Amino acid sequence: MADTVMECRNLWKIYEKITAVKDVSLEIKEGEIKLLFGPSGSGKSTLARCLALLTTPTKGDVFHRGECLTRPGVNLNKARARIGFVFQHIWLFHHLTALGNVELGLRRVLKLPKKEARERATKALREVKMEEWANHYPAQLSGGQQQRVGIARALAMDPYIIILDEPTSALDPELIGEVTDTLRALAKKGTTMFIISHEMQFAREVADEMIFFNQGMIVEEGPPERFFTKPSSDRAKRFMERLIKRTTKE
Amino acid sequence: MDPLSQLSFILWGVPTTLAISILSFLSGLALGIPLAFIRVYMGKPFQVMVDLYEKILRGVPEIVMMLLLYFGVGLALGLKPFDEAFFAVTFALGLRSGANQSQIFRGAIRGVGESQMIAARSLGLPTSQAIIHVMIPQTFIIATPGLGSEYALLIKDSAYAFILGVLETMKRTDILRMTTFDTVFPYFASAFIYILLTFPLATYLDMWGSRKRKELGL
Ligand SMILES: Nc1ncnc2c1ncn2[C@@H]1O[C@H](COP(=O)(O)OP(=O)(O)O)[C@@H](O)[C@H]1O
Ligand SMILES: [Mg+2]
Repeated sequence: MADTVMECRNLWKIYEKITAVKDVSLEIKEGEIKLLFGPSGSGKSTLARCLALLTTPTKGDVFHRGECLTRPGVNLNKARARIGFVFQHIWLFHHLTALGNVELGLRRVLKLPKKEARERATKALREVKMEEWANHYPAQLSGGQQQRVGIARALAMDPYIIILDEPTSALDPELIGEVTDTLRALAKKGTTMFIISHEMQFAREVADEMIFFNQGMIVEEGPPERFFTKPSSDRAKRFMERLIKRTTKE
Repeated sequence: MDPLSQLSFILWGVPTTLAISILSFLSGLALGIPLAFIRVYMGKPFQVMVDLYEKILRGVPEIVMMLLLYFGVGLALGLKPFDEAFFAVTFALGLRSGANQSQIFRGAIRGVGESQMIAARSLGLPTSQAIIHVMIPQTFIIATPGLGSEYALLIKDSAYAFILGVLETMKRTDILRMTTFDTVFPYFASAFIYILLTFPLATYLDMWGSRKRKELGL
């Protein structure tokens, strides 16, 4: 059986007024792709950020490759370096070229020598088919191209998991395909991924398991086919119907 | 004296005017950047301290600070190098500029936004590295127009140095008035020189900053 790469147990995130994540437990094994979806404001981003150690959970534990990273005294920077994260609003560094964006972590976190960092960054850009655009600034790229650079930036650090928070939802519809294609290619190579997305066709193709999330809780989880044929919860069923109606209309 | 030699007499003060302005600008930068980041990223007590510093230095007239540093600290306490008017003036302006630049950079940090910091952190960059490699370069771009105005302000305020007898542009203007009894030309010449020192560079920095910002989508 494959090793567990990332896991959380009884995770809670409580903001001042809102409980964004309520007692969530989940587990991702090596090479597995889990896809989380659910209404806006249901706490998906918060969960993703807790899992990526970008925010501290209020209660509960996060484990990466068997190690509990929510204990005090853990070197979070070291841990984050090997967790890839792709943001909904992309968040490339404006002042750096595509190559500069990908190189930054390699140079300043992994402390690779210049030449090696350049090679590795170029390789990552090639993987997302952005090598030709290496010397362009984010503002000179389309949203889809920017997000591919965002993926390359995560990929270059040699992450054991990539967490993607709605990587296509800020993009114009015609640019979504190039990003999902990039992710399909990663899926084919066996990359472990936790993806938040509402691209249902894409989900059906790549996900090993889908999770329906609502009001900070996992409502239902299972293989994609089950969601597409007979989701057991009413809430998931209605949500799926709306999503599918929306995509077929376009 | 013919107008040309009058003008050149005043012009000999420009290097000193520039020295006061540039040195105080750089001291302001060295103070302002850390203060801004401390104000944004450190706890409440630090916020209060930075705010207090800004309030005091922006509230007290610069001439009061200069006289205090020169007479109080330099001459009365004998603390070097403030017993020299040049340094007392420069340092007083530097302290005030630190308060101004802290505000300029704080605004710029807000302009860059927290998202850049989160993205940097997701790569495993420690906060200090994220500030150096991600925040500071972008804050500089956003701050450039403001820094241009701050520089112009320092050029103008360096004229206060004449009260303490520093031989800069204003002092030389005053000497000229006393020796030629001409109360019009020296001031026009001086005004013209100050405009040349401030306007082109400040305008250029303003344009450069705005253009760069647009280019990078900042
Ligand atoms: N930093 C924060 N401080 C306070 N409330 C937050 C913060 N981040 C998110 N929230 C709140 O938590 C809830 C879940 O948000 P989020 O995780 O972004 O949901 P989703 O990604 O599913 O849209 C929302 O009500 C949101 O307003
Ligand atoms: Mg979200």
